[in-house]
Amino acid sequence: MSIPNQQTDIAILGGGPGGYVAALSAAQRGARVTLIEKNQVGGTCLNVGCIPTKVLTTSTELLLRCKRASEFGLSIPQVGVDLPRLMNYKQSTVDQLVGGVEQLLKAQRVNLVRGEGRIISPDRLLVDDGQGGKQEVSAKQIILAPGSVTAEPPIPGRDLPGVVTSTGALHIDAVPASLIVIGGGVIGLEFACIYEALGSKVTILEMAPSILPVGTDEVIAKRLQIILRRRGMLIHTGITVERIERTGESLQVSATGASGEQVFQGERVLVATGRWPNTQAMGFDEIGLQMNGRAIAVDDRLATNLPSVLAVGDAVGGWMLAHKAMVDGRVAAENATGGKRRIDYRSVPNVIFTRPEVASVGLTEAEARSEGAEVKVSQFPFSANPRARILGETDGLVRLVCEAGSGRVLGAHLMGPHATDLIAEAALAVQTGATADDLAWTTHAHPTLPEAMLEAALGFRDAAIHTHSR
Amino acid sequence: MSEYLETTIDKFIFRVATDRLYTPEGVWALLEGNRVRIGLTDYQQQLNGDVAFVHLKPVGTKFAAGDELAEMETIKATVSFFSPVSGTLIEVNPDLELSPEVINQDPYGKGWLAVIESARWEVDRAKLIDAKAYLEWMRSQAEQELKK
Repeated sequence: MSIPNQQTDIAILGGGPGGYVAALSAAQRGARVTLIEKNQVGGTCLNVGCIPTKVLTTSTELLLRCKRASEFGLSIPQVGVDLPRLMNYKQSTVDQLVGGVEQLLKAQRVNLVRGEGRIISPDRLLVDDGQGGKQEVSAKQIILAPGSVTAEPPIPGRDLPGVVTSTGALHIDAVPASLIVIGGGVIGLEFACIYEALGSKVTILEMAPSILPVGTDEVIAKRLQIILRRRGMLIHTGITVERIERTGESLQVSATGASGEQVFQGERVLVATGRWPNTQAMGFDEIGLQMNGRAIAVDDRLATNLPSVLAVGDAVGGWMLAHKAMVDGRVAAENATGGKRRIDYRSVPNVIFTRPEVASVGLTEAEARSEGAEVKVSQFPFSANPRARILGETDGLVRLVCEAGSGRVLGAHLMGPHATDLIAEAALAVQTGATADDLAWTTHAHPTLPEAMLEAALGFRDAAIHTHSR
Repeated sequence: MSEYLETTIDKFIFRVATDRLYTPEGVWALLEGNRVRIGLTDYQQQLNGDVAFVHLKPVGTKFAAGDELAEMETIKATVSFFSPVSGTLIEVNPDLELSPEVINQDPYGKGWLAVIESARWEVDRAKLIDAKAYLEWMRSQAEQELKK
């Protein structure tokens, strides 16, 4: 029996943020597009990543705000968590957004093929629907967008019941009295804040000397660590987890730090030690695709070593962020349809939905200095921002890293209310080469949180209005 | 126990411990053997308000007198403080991370900032002023602040 073969201009392997955006963008440019996805479209981000975690951060923040009602002159006598409804809210949000992406794909006439795809030559993919159905897709260009998978560190006991990854931690049927989080990076800290808000006693174990060891401004990482500790979270840094064991009702995590072996007890353990490019068992080796460790090697136009094959998103390594993958998707779509666009990651923001939120873009002070730039850092605390005061969220600050002299904005590092929204202005500044003066002479509405950015920009010329330094 | 000079300006009472020396900027230095314990005056803590965060230079940092030692963020302002003495930072107050309010509660005691192993105390001390002189200087400063 011959396998049915479908001809298309562009075939895309993986329907996450990198793949589906590439599909929509290529279709807009007139290409016939086939998108191959084994599960739901939306990938990790939409199904088990950004979106469901933000549902949980949103609901738990609302819970905490309701508990503070009296501060805002309100009386809410009884506030509680209804876990089954919270899980439904999470699922229905995911379903709506997945449905939205499917609608968009349909509207752009993208052919969505369900099944596991495998590249069998630089212009052909084999798709197995898992129910005995197979088909081939032949394409002039292939864009690989297989995403990433949860990293699996070799910790004995990782498979014990009660030990979960981020995907498992999204499903909450009961709030554990205590949670041990292995990994003080973005994923670990976001879940730490979610479970803390639900009432779990949270302990974080991080191998590096500080939480958020990669890519976050040191001052902000340190400050966040202090804020979380002041709230009662236990944070141990410079500590390596050796094993997890079950002892009666609880799990026991043994870890080694500077002071020898320590043992931590918890009802549940979250292993949040990062993600790896998902590049196994898809035929990459067999067709001679050049790799860069676990990641697919690409050039600055996202071309691989095979002439008709491009790759995007988490699978090419670097920042594993949905919005970075989406930019990759647009670049790859353009280059697969005659364009010659280079990737430009200067303004990729990093956002962390902790309490308070953390966001950054561009260079940190240390990075800028190590690149030889003469920099001036100006900062402004949210405690001096009226809107933050009204919101009752005054923890945090804006740190603006500018080139000394010109004032060109090289980076911005924020912690505070809606930091993840506020970073957009700084990203625009970094992307367009704006200066602190450009930001400072842009009128910012009052009373709003972005005024903190304005004041930090004024601070470049030691001219902040609403704070003073001695 | 330290003894204090006290002065009232407007409705505020300010105390100055008599057992140590001061910089005019309101940093005190208390000699303990060859080490110098450093902190902020009562006037400084009242002037700047509730302390939210204190960033001290890391242990091991070498200072010349006048180098920046700490940056303090309060609900009102961000304030830099400078080391009154030369030497090596050997200890920072571990309570400041979780309970920075000790600076407001007990500026001359539990709210100390750091300990520096002094390199040349005799030279540095000559530039410091005693409690009485600091009190006078602080009075004039406080009166100016009140006029603002």
